[in-house]
Amino acid sequence: MSALYELPVFGLSLTLATYLCSLWLYQRLGRPGLLSPVLVTVIGVAAVLQLTGMPYDLYMQQVALLTLLLGPATVALALPLLRNGHALASSAPAVVATLVVGGAVSISVTVGAMVALGADDAMLRAALPRSVTSPVGLSIADALGASVPMAVVLTLISGVLGAVVGPALLSLVRVRDERARGFAVGMTSHGIGTSRVLGESTVSGGWSSAAMVLNALVMTVTLPAVAQLVA
Amino acid sequence: MGRMSRAALLPPVLLGLVILLLAQMVGLALETLLGLPIPGVVLGLVLIVVLGLLRPTRAVVRLADPAATPLLQHLQLLFVPPGVGIVLELQNLAENALPIALAVGGSFVLTLIVAGLLLQALLRRQDRRRSAADGPAPGDAETGEATV
Repeated sequence: MSALYELPVFGLSLTLATYLCSLWLYQRLGRPGLLSPVLVTVIGVAAVLQLTGMPYDLYMQQVALLTLLLGPATVALALPLLRNGHALASSAPAVVATLVVGGAVSISVTVGAMVALGADDAMLRAALPRSVTSPVGLSIADALGASVPMAVVLTLISGVLGAVVGPALLSLVRVRDERARGFAVGMTSHGIGTSRVLGESTVSGGWSSAAMVLNALVMTVTLPAVAQLVA
Repeated sequence: MGRMSRAALLPPVLLGLVILLLAQMVGLALETLLGLPIPGVVLGLVLIVVLGLLRPTRAVVRLADPAATPLLQHLQLLFVPPGVGIVLELQNLAENALPIALAVGGSFVLTLIVAGLLLQALLRRQDRRRSAADGPAPGDAETGEATV
């Protein structure tokens, strides 16, 4: 087995092939939110690592190309903000108020639940960036000294939750405004949620992706201070 | 014009990638030089936003698009490797399952509802005030704009 996974191209082929299979499955089954391709790929690749006993460090070395591309991809998030920003700019006071209030709710519930149930500091720090789009969340987790994989997985779960129950939950509490629906989903479930509401309407999708980037910017500045206060 | 047509001869995806990488590099350099607490990649993101808002540099941002679009389309592929690292922490995850479920689920549900209701109320008030101020409802115009 080790002869196979020691081939330098093993990690990248495994990751790309699993991702393609997950995409195919996702499209084939009518895009169910629960089968988000990234979640399926993470589980699939993790299972192969467990079964073959391939060390995680070796896998990371083999997929360095993907890690390297994360930087420019994060910078590229500027483009959806620029594209959808002017629609939000005319409602700036409402948008800012929602970002601040929503951010405060998100942080206090996370901290409250973790502290009340006695989770350790490390876990709390990894849970803080969970509403932030992964590329930015990664660097926040890193700055907080949190476990990056844990932060990524919690972020993925948040995104999948948003795609699966987000729109229904918003309808339940009678949020019908397309702009508000998009914004709420983008703020809580970043990219995965955004791709879900984009199917609902382009207005929602635009507001969602702008909210995702704005929320990431706000959290980048806020979370280090919060982490210092509570952990 | 002349500059644009010359740039058009270069491979667009590579050109876009170089623009994004340069912005990231400037961000990382700023982070180290100024000792800022904000990650360099995020500074790079802000730099591109600023360049895109200023008229003379807007064209540079447009050139980044051919690389940005495919990168963002498959953004999720890029965090498979860090996500797979969870295999090292399955124990930790299982031990903290309850607080995690409550923190992640609870803050997700509450934030979603609060943000949705609040923004809807604020936008409605704003639309009403604007349509009272000037005849045709500007809410519709805005929605049209957002679809672009």
